[in-house]
Amino acid sequence: MRYRALSDVRVVDLTHFIAGSYATKLLADMGADVIKVEPPWGEGGRKLGPHRAGNRDRGALFAFLNLNKRGVTLNLKHDRGRELAAGLLDGADLLVENFAPGTLAALGLAPDEMIAKFPRLSIVSISNFGQDGPERDGKLNDLVLFARGGWTFPVGEPDREPLTPPDSLAQYVGALYGAVAAMQALAARDLGLGHGQHIDVSILEATVATMIYETVTFQYTGIVRRREGKRYAVGPFLIVTLKCKDGYAGLHCVTDKQFEGLCDLMGRRELASDPRFNTALNRMLNNNALLEIVEAFFIGRERNWLYREGQRRAIPLVPIPSVAEVLEWEQTKARNYFETIDDPVLGTIRVPGTPLRLTSHRGEASRPAPQLGEHNREIFGGRLGLSDSTIDALEKAGTI
Amino acid sequence: MKTIFDGKVRVLDISMGWAGPLAGQMFAEMGAEVIKVEDTHHFDWWRGSLSMAPPEMRPIERAAVFNTVNRGKRGVTLDLASARGIEILKRLVNVSDILVENFSPGVIDRLGLGYESVSAINPRLIMISMPSFGNDGPECNTRGYGNTIEAMAGVTGLTGYHDGDGQRYTLSNALGDPVGGLHGVFALMVAMRERERTGRGQLIELAQVEALIPFVADAILEYQFTGKAPAARGNRHRAHAPHGIYRCAGDDNWIALACDTDDQWRSLAGVLGMERIAADPRFAGASARKVNEDALDAELSRAIAQLNADDCLARIRDAGVLAAPVNPAPAVMADPQIQSREYFVAIDRAVVGTHLYPGAVARIPDNPLRADVPAPMLGEHNRQVFAEMLGMTDGEIAELERIGVIGSSPRQYRSAS
Repeated sequence: MRYRALSDVRVVDLTHFIAGSYATKLLADMGADVIKVEPPWGEGGRKLGPHRAGNRDRGALFAFLNLNKRGVTLNLKHDRGRELAAGLLDGADLLVENFAPGTLAALGLAPDEMIAKFPRLSIVSISNFGQDGPERDGKLNDLVLFARGGWTFPVGEPDREPLTPPDSLAQYVGALYGAVAAMQALAARDLGLGHGQHIDVSILEATVATMIYETVTFQYTGIVRRREGKRYAVGPFLIVTLKCKDGYAGLHCVTDKQFEGLCDLMGRRELASDPRFNTALNRMLNNNALLEIVEAFFIGRERNWLYREGQRRAIPLVPIPSVAEVLEWEQTKARNYFETIDDPVLGTIRVPGTPLRLTSHRGEASRPAPQLGEHNREIFGGRLGLSDSTIDALEKAGTI
Repeated sequence: MKTIFDGKVRVLDISMGWAGPLAGQMFAEMGAEVIKVEDTHHFDWWRGSLSMAPPEMRPIERAAVFNTVNRGKRGVTLDLASARGIEILKRLVNVSDILVENFSPGVIDRLGLGYESVSAINPRLIMISMPSFGNDGPECNTRGYGNTIEAMAGVTGLTGYHDGDGQRYTLSNALGDPVGGLHGVFALMVAMRERERTGRGQLIELAQVEALIPFVADAILEYQFTGKAPAARGNRHRAHAPHGIYRCAGDDNWIALACDTDDQWRSLAGVLGMERIAADPRFAGASARKVNEDALDAELSRAIAQLNADDCLARIRDAGVLAAPVNPAPAVMADPQIQSREYFVAIDRAVVGTHLYPGAVARIPDNPLRADVPAPMLGEHNRQVFAEMLGMTDGEIAELERIGVIGSSPRQYRSAS
C-alpha cells in the first residue's frame, strides 16, 4: 500500500541489503519519490529471500524491501557515473546510504562536500557501528549483532546456551531509526536551518536502544536478568510461553485484574486471595509455585480455547501462530493487511502491507520492486535530460 | 544549539506502557513540549504496582522502564472518569499539535475523545491511535502487550532451539513495543510534514502487530514458496556452519561466532588449536560442515570451553572470523564502541538518583536530540502546565486538587487513609 503524504520528497537511495532498503521503503510507502541507485551488477540484497526455481537473481525479500521505488544503475567508480549521481543529488531532499563508513568519500561523494554543493540535501548514513569510534569499520551479522547488543543473553534455558532471536529483526530496528532520522532532517531543514545535514545512525546503538529492560533496570535493582526458560523473567508477573494440548500459548499476566481473570479461567478463584499470590510482590516471591499451577492447567487445554476464554476475561493470552497462520489470520484478512503483488519475475506474492494507516489519503496499490536498471531511461532521460544515444553509450561503457 | 522543534510543537501523550510513551519521548528529544497525562487512579501501568514497597518509598517513582520512556516530558494528572477531567483534557487538546493514545479499541470514544470530537475542537490536531491489533476486525479486542503482539506477529513461533522439543521463547525486549513506538514517531513526522502543506491534521491508525509482521517477511515469503512454515533454526544458519553460541571458561560466559567461508573455518580451527579437526573430511567444505554440524559444534564446544572469553574472542577476531561476546546488560554498557560514542547518558532523577539511560540513536549535528531530561513524577507539573497553558489561577488548581481531579499521589493512598 502506498500513500502520497511525502510526494514532494525526493530521495536518492544508495542502500543495499536490509537495514538501508527497509528505511527507504518506509519513505517510499509514504509516497516519497525514491530512486534506488545500484551498481550495474545489482546490489547484494537482490538475491535475498526465497527464489522461484530457475531464477536466482531476484529474491522475494528484495521484491518486498524495494516496493514503490524506481531503480537505476550507475557505476560510481566511473567518473561519468559519479557525475550522474551528483546530477541526481541536485534537487534531492535526501540521500540515504548504508555503505561502510568512508565509502561515500572514497567514491568522491563526501557527505560534507555534497551538502555544501546542494544545501537542501540531507544525508542519512546507517552503518553497523556508526561513523566513528574504534570499531567503525567492523563487520556484523545478525547472530553477532544480537549477542553483542544484549538481546541473546537472557533468552533460552538456564542450563543451555543462550538462544539468538530469529531472522534479521535488529536490522529492521536500525532501518526504523534511519527512516525517523530522514524525517528529522527534513523537519530541521524546513522549520529552522534552511539547509541539510549529515545524520549518523548506528545499528548497534539501535539494537541496544530496545534493551531498556536490561540496561536501565539492572542499574536500579542490581539484578542482571538471566535465562529463565519459558518465563520471560521472574518478577511480579507471569509472562510465559506455555505448552498446551496442541501447541504453545503466550500469557502476559501483570496486573491484579489480569491475575483474577487467570484464576477465574482456571476455575480457581480462591487463588486470587491465596496469601502466596494475592499481591504482585507475592506473585514474584512465589513465582515457581504459580507457574506450576498454570502449566498443569494449560497442558490439558487447546490453544484456541485458551485464547477465546482468556480474552473473554481480558487476559492477554494468545495462541502462538506460525507465519503460515499469521498470513491466514482472520484479523489480518478483515483489515486487508497483506497486499498481493504481481511481481514481474516472481509472479504473485503476498507481502505485509504498510502498518501506517493515514486518513488524509486513500492508499493505492504498491508498485513492484524495480528490475535492474528498469528506470534508467525514464530517470536519466527525463530528469537529467540525457539523449537516447548518450544513454546507449553509457550502457556500452558499463557506466549504467 | 537549537532543537528541531525548539519548543514550538506540543504533544499531548495520554498513552501508557512503552509504545505510545516512546513516541512521546522521541518528540521530547526533538524539543517538542510533551505533556504526559496520567490518572491518579489508573496511572501508567508501567510505573508498576503499589504493592512493591510501602508508600514512603514511593514505589511508582522507581520504575526503571517508566523513567526511561517518559524522559523529557512534563507530567500532569487528570481524573479521566470525571466530566471535569475530560473537559480540561479537551482544553489541552485545543492548544496541542499532536495527541498520542494507545487505549484498547473503543475506549477513546467512550471518553468522548474520539477523532471526530478532538478534530472539531482543533482541526490542526494530528492524532495517532496505536491499538495492538487494530481498531476494527474480528479480533481487534484481543488484549495486547509487547509479548502477545510479538507472538501474533509470528516472531515467537520462529524463536526456539534447532533441536528443541517445540518450546518457544519470548524475546528479551518485548519487541512489539519499541517497534510500535518507532513507527508512531515516523507516522507523526510524516503527518506533521503534510500539515505544513495542507494546514490540516489527521487521524493515523497504527496497529502494533502490523508494524512487527514485516520484520518476519522473509519467513512469510518462504512459506509461500515452499508451502511449509520455516522451522525454528535456533542459533544456526540455513546454509553456513559453524554458526552458533559456545560456552567459555567461567560462569555463564558465552561467545557467538560464524564462518561464511572455508578460509574462515580453516583460520578459526587454526587459532583454536584444532588443526586435526580442520583436516577432517567431515568438515571440508560448507555443505559437509552443514551436514555434520552436530559433530562440528561438539568439537568447537570442547575447544572453546577451555578458553577465557576475552582471549578466545581476540584470537577469533584476529583470524578474521565474525565473533562477539554474548553480553549481559553490564557488558553491553561497557562495550568499547558504545562507550567511545558516549551512547548512554547520565540523568539525576528525583527519588531514584543518577543512572545511565540509552541516548538518542540519530546523531544530528546541528540539532542534537536531547535524551538527558528526567521523566516526571506523578502530577509533578500540574501547576506549571495548567497555569501556563490554560491560564488557571492558583485557586482553581487548588480546587481541582481538593476535589481529586488532579493530584500528585496515587488515589489508592488517599482512599486508604
